[in-house]
Amino acid sequence: MFRTTMKGMVAHKMRLAMTALAVSLGVAFLAGTLVLNATMNQTFDKLMSSVYAGTDSVVREKAAFEGLQNTGEQRGRVDASLLDTVRGVDGVAKAEGLTVGFARIVDKQGQAMGNPSNGAPTLGFGWIDTKELNPFVLAEGRSPQADDEIVLDKKSAADAGFVVGDTATILVQGPPQQMKIVGIARFGDADSPAGATCVVFTQGAAQRLVGEVGKYDEITMVAADGVSQQTLTDRVAKVIPPGTEALTGAKITAESQDQMRQAMSFFTTFMLVFATVALLVGAFMIFNTFSITVAQRTRESALLRALGASKRQVLVSVVIEALLVGLAASVVGLVAGVFVAAGLKAMIQALGFDVPGGGVVFTMNTALISLVAGMGITVIAAFSPARKASKVPPVAAMQSVFTGSTGYGSKQRILVGCTILASGIGALFLGLFGDTGNTLPIVGLGALLVFFGVSVLGRTVSLPLSRMLGWPLPKLRGVTGELARENAMRNPKRTAASASALMIGVGLVAFITILASSTTASINATVDRAFTGDIAIDPGTGMNGGVDPGLARQVNGLPEISAATGLRIGTAEIDKSVEMIAAVDPATAFDLFDPKVLAGSKDDLGVDAIAVYKDVANEKHLTIGSTLPVLYAQSGLKQMRVAMIYGENRPAGNYVLGMAAYEANFANRYDMQVFAKKADGVSTDAAMTAVKNVAKQYPGVTVLDQQGYKDAQAKPINQMLALVYALLALAIVIALLGIGNTLALSIFERTRELGLLRAVGMTRAQLRSTIRWESVIIAMQGTLLGLLIGLFFGWSLVRALSDEGIDQFSAPVTSLAIVVVLAWLAGVVAAILPGRRAAKLDVLKAVVTE
Amino acid sequence: MTTLVHDDLSPATEAPLPAAAHTVDAYKIYGKGQTEVRALDGVTVEFEQGRFTAIMGPSGSGKSTLLHCIAGLDTLTSGKAYIGDRDLSTLDDRHLTILRRDEVGFVFQSFNLIPTLTAIENIKLPLLLAGHKGDVEWIDKVIDTVRLRDRLAHRPNELSGGQQQRVAVARALASRPQIIFADEPTGNLDSKSGAEILHFMQDAVADLHQTIVMVTHDPVAASYADRIVFLADGKVVDEMLQPTAERVLERMKRFGE
Repeated sequence: MFRTTMKGMVAHKMRLAMTALAVSLGVAFLAGTLVLNATMNQTFDKLMSSVYAGTDSVVREKAAFEGLQNTGEQRGRVDASLLDTVRGVDGVAKAEGLTVGFARIVDKQGQAMGNPSNGAPTLGFGWIDTKELNPFVLAEGRSPQADDEIVLDKKSAADAGFVVGDTATILVQGPPQQMKIVGIARFGDADSPAGATCVVFTQGAAQRLVGEVGKYDEITMVAADGVSQQTLTDRVAKVIPPGTEALTGAKITAESQDQMRQAMSFFTTFMLVFATVALLVGAFMIFNTFSITVAQRTRESALLRALGASKRQVLVSVVIEALLVGLAASVVGLVAGVFVAAGLKAMIQALGFDVPGGGVVFTMNTALISLVAGMGITVIAAFSPARKASKVPPVAAMQSVFTGSTGYGSKQRILVGCTILASGIGALFLGLFGDTGNTLPIVGLGALLVFFGVSVLGRTVSLPLSRMLGWPLPKLRGVTGELARENAMRNPKRTAASASALMIGVGLVAFITILASSTTASINATVDRAFTGDIAIDPGTGMNGGVDPGLARQVNGLPEISAATGLRIGTAEIDKSVEMIAAVDPATAFDLFDPKVLAGSKDDLGVDAIAVYKDVANEKHLTIGSTLPVLYAQSGLKQMRVAMIYGENRPAGNYVLGMAAYEANFANRYDMQVFAKKADGVSTDAAMTAVKNVAKQYPGVTVLDQQGYKDAQAKPINQMLALVYALLALAIVIALLGIGNTLALSIFERTRELGLLRAVGMTRAQLRSTIRWESVIIAMQGTLLGLLIGLFFGWSLVRALSDEGIDQFSAPVTSLAIVVVLAWLAGVVAAILPGRRAAKLDVLKAVVTE
Repeated sequence: MTTLVHDDLSPATEAPLPAAAHTVDAYKIYGKGQTEVRALDGVTVEFEQGRFTAIMGPSGSGKSTLLHCIAGLDTLTSGKAYIGDRDLSTLDDRHLTILRRDEVGFVFQSFNLIPTLTAIENIKLPLLLAGHKGDVEWIDKVIDTVRLRDRLAHRPNELSGGQQQRVAVARALASRPQIIFADEPTGNLDSKSGAEILHFMQDAVADLHQTIVMVTHDPVAASYADRIVFLADGKVVDEMLQPTAERVLERMKRFGE
């Protein structure tokens, strides 16, 4: 039996190669992601352990709460006096204070380096004299001695072309600083930690410019000879004040490695989603190829059965074929994965993250997961065709005609399809609107089930869909069009499976397009509704830093400007939930934003006061004068008095502080954004010019008018969109292979029919046209279903996110029309090879009866 | 019928009407050297307009090859094949296809129809491919001749074998071609349906003034023709006019010797 399988496979190399290619692409993507992940993990693990190699113990504040979106635990800084306390502990050979915070290098062209808002961070450190405790290793020059001296990381220095002796502008808390570069250093054995830019100041300057005066982020220690990490840590723990903690060097190493992995895990998860999509699309292709070949081999299977093969043997022979195809494809994919990993690495670097050098890490796990996934998906997809093959009765060997599946599918099938679809929608809604913990897997499963359900039902809707989509064809293209339509309709199951593969890609593209468009529309609507100012100044740092509040003050003082405020955002824990809190200057902010004040007054937003959004006030039963306990990372638990309740939570969010309260509870002194309104009678241009003049002193900031502000908000969304499109293109390419493969197999089945058409006068061009239109109908069917699913997903998610600020549903007609046109073209492209092959058919072969 | 019947074996001599198709010194050779097979070994033959000609011969005699080559489905190794006065060897695939579509009708032994098209669409297929309506009156007449009026909306799988072949005959007639080639048209039919098809073909020649060339190995089928050309080993070996089944059988028996 095995030999029969092998011989059959050798005889159908081409079609197996096409199928295998689909699996290979998916596996390559999966393996590439895994290889990259392993490589990055290993690299960063090494980096972190080299950084903490000399550290035996660490003292720091206890974590107040977990930050939002993988930003790690939020904690305050320890008092600098603790350093002396620790130094006094028996067994501490050396102790140093660590200072780290936001600092951004301005290059020679006056451009701020790095992309802190959504790339690697831009960091400032204090120089540590103890070699064992200093993550930086001087490569050139010396350590900073005076407060205007700095050391730069090697990568940034190289990127900007700075050498020792140059002067550089550094953006920090307060006005930009002119600093002298006295040294260039490596971070552990990397040129820079993960592409972050680093400036190292003296401890004093670091505290003043990037941290807090009189505070350290943590204190690191080296143990005396013969004192273990644990012993040292235990001893230190006894002398430190409550609210602080001591950890061993091993533990902090593990923790920082873990944190690094977490930060990278987003990317890995993201890529794995695409790998899954690619494999899923490949599965449809496998299913289709096996279904068709099994149908074509009906007589062969029947003959085997007639000759005494059991059902089981026939089934096993097909499964073995699938297994071998899966194995070959997975091995190819695995090898290709190494190259994919290199490509992905380049992509990460293009995004501004640096992955330090070193070879790729190819683990046993990667190989195992890739092989199992590739072979698994192949076998699962081929199982139903295999079962069909085993059900062929022996008598079929003697019957001549085999008719393909027609019609709408059984009632049972429709029922199953509906059930799957319904449970998919159910899971999706539960995940999106329900009150469950981790919703992402539920949403993902729901989406998967929706795709699956629709593809099961695909067969039922395929016939009417083909009829509808092909309706204009006979009128437009005459009999070639009619034949194309009829051919698309003659095997709805096959058409549906081919279309399903494309449906997934198109569905996701449509969904992402709608989501991005809705997000942009929501931002624009918010700006229109709530922002009554004219000018926005963006320091380009996102949540990781900002611009000196002096800018807002200076702008506010301009005669062309009637009001200006800085906007700051921090996180705090309220009622066990981590929340974003915005802070503005109450004196000016309400001229720029209209939060629709319902009760209380902006004038009361003092140092102990908070403003809350009406829904929060209702939910927590807050009225003016009630107290709200807020846990700040730096200042601890504070009872805040509700001074104002407002009715518009965009863009400020649910909680707003006055600047006084913010500065009392948050250590940093940056404005994340600055907004301004022009004075009466001043043109926007004049106001812009005036503001730009002031902003010149602050490199890295961009001055935007209303439209520019909207565009700037949409920019990261569009960048993300481009990335997602690029990845989804893979799924669409696989789907195209699938359509091409299906067409090629169908043409093989219709050899005689095509020959007859050619004999009675169909030209090659007409024949190619017939196949092209059939392909377009299949592609359009997948596109239509995909668009519907994409619209549905987009709509559901936008509904679910309406609390998060995305309240506008927008389906961009132009973009979606482009998707349709591209899918159309894709259908045309998919038909090229099969069409060419069909046109080359030997007419005689078809008309000669064997 | 006005065609003059002539008795000699050299059709290259003068005929009152131009031939609908003819070959001159046609060779079709497969393989080389030891394995060389001469399917056609210097065939010069003419098929007059308005006649029903049958080509007969034992299997392997080259009768189907001759049909394919003169119908523009296959190409000769050397020699010439003409439809009307057009030399097929001078035509590229496109022009050959258009020639088949406009000037030639086909009836095959099996798989004559496109399963996705209705009977009427199949009948009109060459016209539809050409993109013109054709002669509506003529098509009506053809449909009545083959008695398919009530089956026009049916698909091939809803028709009997005989009906399917009648559709094929109607399709061959629909574009009013110069010549119709039929390759064992009754091979897959029971004798009653076969006879019916042959009658229609006779009627098409007699009443509708069509020209038909039919390959068959069935003496009864051949006896419906006006003239039989006998082939053996790739050569024209004999010819018979006004054949009867008995005479044909008699003649065929001699091939076995």
